[in-house]
Amino acid sequence: MIIRKIQIDNYLCYYDTNSFVLSEGLNIILGENGEGKTKFFEAVDWLFNGENEDLELLVSAKKLSETEIGESFRVRVSMTVEQYGDIKIITRSFVAKKEKENQCSTSSFMIEGIEENSLGERSQVDGTTLLDRVFPFQIRKYSMFKGEADLNIFESDNALVNLINLFSEAKHYDKYSEKGAFLREKAEKAVEDSAKLDRKNANLYKKLEGEISLLEKEKAKFEVHLNSTDDEIRKIEGNLQLAESHVKNADALETLNKRIKEIEEKISFLNGRIDENYTTSLFDENWILVNFEPYHKEFAEKVSEHSKKRRELQSEFDKEKGIKLGEKKAKADLLNNAVPLPTGVPSKAHMEEMLNDQICKVCNREAKKGSDAYEFMMERLKTYLESQVANETDDEEYEQLFKLDYTNRLENLSISHEDNLKNLRSIRTNIKELFEFNNDRKKEIEELNEQLEKEKSERERILGNSSVAEEKLIDVLKNYNAWQDDLKNRNREQLRYTSEYEKLEAQLKIKKEEKDKIDTDSANSFLIKTRNILRDIETIFLDTKEKKFDEFIEKLQSKSNHFFKKINIDAFTGTIVFTRRNKISRTIVEVELQEDGRVFYKPNQSLLTSMHISILFAISELATETKEENFPMIFDAPTSSFGENKTAQFLNLIFETENQKILLIKDFLNNDKTTKALSIKNEFENVRRDKAFWVKLERPFDPNNLKTINTQVITL
Amino acid sequence: MNNLFEKWKTKIPKYSEVHKDLFASLSQKFGAEGEKKINFGKHFSTNYELYTYAFFLGLYNDEYSPIPDNEKKTDFSHHIQHWGSKSSAIRKDFTNLQENMFIALIAKTDINLIDLEKGELDEDQAIKLILKTMESYTNGGLILIKEKLEENPNYFLQPTSFLNLILEENVA
Repeated sequence: MIIRKIQIDNYLCYYDTNSFVLSEGLNIILGENGEGKTKFFEAVDWLFNGENEDLELLVSAKKLSETEIGESFRVRVSMTVEQYGDIKIITRSFVAKKEKENQCSTSSFMIEGIEENSLGERSQVDGTTLLDRVFPFQIRKYSMFKGEADLNIFESDNALVNLINLFSEAKHYDKYSEKGAFLREKAEKAVEDSAKLDRKNANLYKKLEGEISLLEKEKAKFEVHLNSTDDEIRKIEGNLQLAESHVKNADALETLNKRIKEIEEKISFLNGRIDENYTTSLFDENWILVNFEPYHKEFAEKVSEHSKKRRELQSEFDKEKGIKLGEKKAKADLLNNAVPLPTGVPSKAHMEEMLNDQICKVCNREAKKGSDAYEFMMERLKTYLESQVANETDDEEYEQLFKLDYTNRLENLSISHEDNLKNLRSIRTNIKELFEFNNDRKKEIEELNEQLEKEKSERERILGNSSVAEEKLIDVLKNYNAWQDDLKNRNREQLRYTSEYEKLEAQLKIKKEEKDKIDTDSANSFLIKTRNILRDIETIFLDTKEKKFDEFIEKLQSKSNHFFKKINIDAFTGTIVFTRRNKISRTIVEVELQEDGRVFYKPNQSLLTSMHISILFAISELATETKEENFPMIFDAPTSSFGENKTAQFLNLIFETENQKILLIKDFLNNDKTTKALSIKNEFENVRRDKAFWVKLERPFDPNNLKTINTQVITL
Repeated sequence: MNNLFEKWKTKIPKYSEVHKDLFASLSQKFGAEGEKKINFGKHFSTNYELYTYAFFLGLYNDEYSPIPDNEKKTDFSHHIQHWGSKSSAIRKDFTNLQENMFIALIAKTDINLIDLEKGELDEDQAIKLILKTMESYTNGGLILIKEKLEENPNYFLQPTSFLNLILEENVA
């Protein structure tokens, strides 16, 4: 079946008559949010499944506002289809009559059918019947999908089974297996009745039946256990897998945090090594003396000049006074009349040192104890020491030229600071070295800071990717461990239940064989033979039905994966797996995404959508094979999680599939930020399709006034 | 034993009240060390540090500026001999600095040492002259600092500013 045309009249934003003349393959309808896309979908849905209620809500406000009170018009959605070369038209409509301003009544709700034969003769038929004939209800159910979430029609246990039953040959065996069971039961009863004729047998039989029924009950109990354990295991596995990505993150986070801490510690250590208290160092390290040397020189010269002058004056004074002249003269002679050094030079400490070492450190010659040189130094020290005591008495005895002596201390200060000069000279080097050291550390810190930034942004990335915040990651870890324990326990239970279950089955088998033996021994052999044949027949029907069912699942799986691989070019390469599970009294089919044989529990939306669409396409293809007919599929915004690029790829892929598709999407539209004008992007030219439309509100319109709303259908 | 150094150390040099603000803003009186100190714009832990600094700055730049007679003088009641904390574990003793200051003062002060030793010049008078030299160079240094601040109020926010002034010499 192919939809040739859809016509919408006065239905909500579709004012007057709007036609979508569709093509056989891929039809793309573009539209911005709120401009008529979804209303198209809903109009078709109303045509397929609409009911005769709240009809006034479907009336075009613009049409109503333009209609005179008392006048009426028809609201209509109509579909022209082609099936096996014949044209059929199905129309759902009602009449809206304007009663008051903004109000209308509705009447004449109807669904009409028109069939056109090959000769072009048209005849009126019942619309509902015609619709069900061209587009069976069960198939319609799997043809229209609104949004991504809607694609997941397989969440419910029955959906897939129903679908498979609809299309697979398995359903043909339903009636046979039912009949087979009925006949087998009859035969069993006949055998039983025959065997029970013997009283002794009857008691034994009763006992066995009681035992069998008890075992069956027990077995059923374990079946329930097994099923629920199975469910739990799957749930825990899902949780674990969800947690796993977080656990990985938590691990990575821990490593990162450790690294970040290390870098921060390094930085802090380096910061500690940087001494930038330069002002304090001016004092503590005496840096302030960096330029002091000239002043020291000036001081030393001043002191020595003074000292010399002082001695000269003293010498003059002494000469004039004639006191101790001989002695002084002798000394003067010894020095070739040069001015003698002050008695305190070399200093007392230096003299003592030289005497102790027996070396004259002035002329750098040995001065062994007892030698002249040694005696000279000893004499000089004595003179100095005497000069320190003698003064007071001298003062009284003699008139003094110098009443006070500051020179000595000043000279000592000068001498002691001579040694410091080399320290002063090294200050500049020290400062330079410290600056270099600090700069090196700063460079290291800068590098570390860069590294730190990198690590931190990595941490951001991890925390950003993870839907749980940092502290919650720790909780996830905790739960993760608990779930792992749970899983272990459940697996153990499952093992235990399975073995119990198998034991019970074995016991049941024994009991049933015992019962059969009584039958064989005592019942009518013809009845037994008949029963055995009927048992076999039932088994054959059941097995065949299951085989057909499995075959269909297998086909569905391989077709689904074929589409899935195509949709997910260069992306996740998991596999869609259909699993048949036999629950008590019914069969369910579950569909899962697996990666390397492991269930992939939490795929993202885009992946889910790909999977669902793949399955739908597969179903559609299989339907075509079994029914030898195509059915259209209508999707409203199925790929909102895709992104434009992937949508384009996806559309190009869909283009290659066989049956008719109508896709409503909001991609490929450009909204000019300044003029607000909408346009179709050039990229759309590269999208392969058979037909494209653009549904767009007529400008200008008032978003608050429905009367101004009219969707134009532009065929691209 | 007569010792000018010992005597000088017992004195408290003065500064012109004109520079009171400098002491308030640059030297630290109320706790806070390290980074916090710098954040407050206080580079000197004590008033005498700033005084010492200003002295050397004035000296190196030959800024001999006696405090004019009409300017009121003040001090911070701290004898030179107590400058430099000898009890602190992190700071070092100032003895060497004191000696060097004294050396510079003797070099720069016009004292007739012969007269002094002869007893013709009073020791107190000599000390007075020395202190005047000290106060004059310090005053010169403070003026230089003030000029720098007037040029750029943020000049001393750099940790190296004070060091640089000393290294540069002749900043004037």
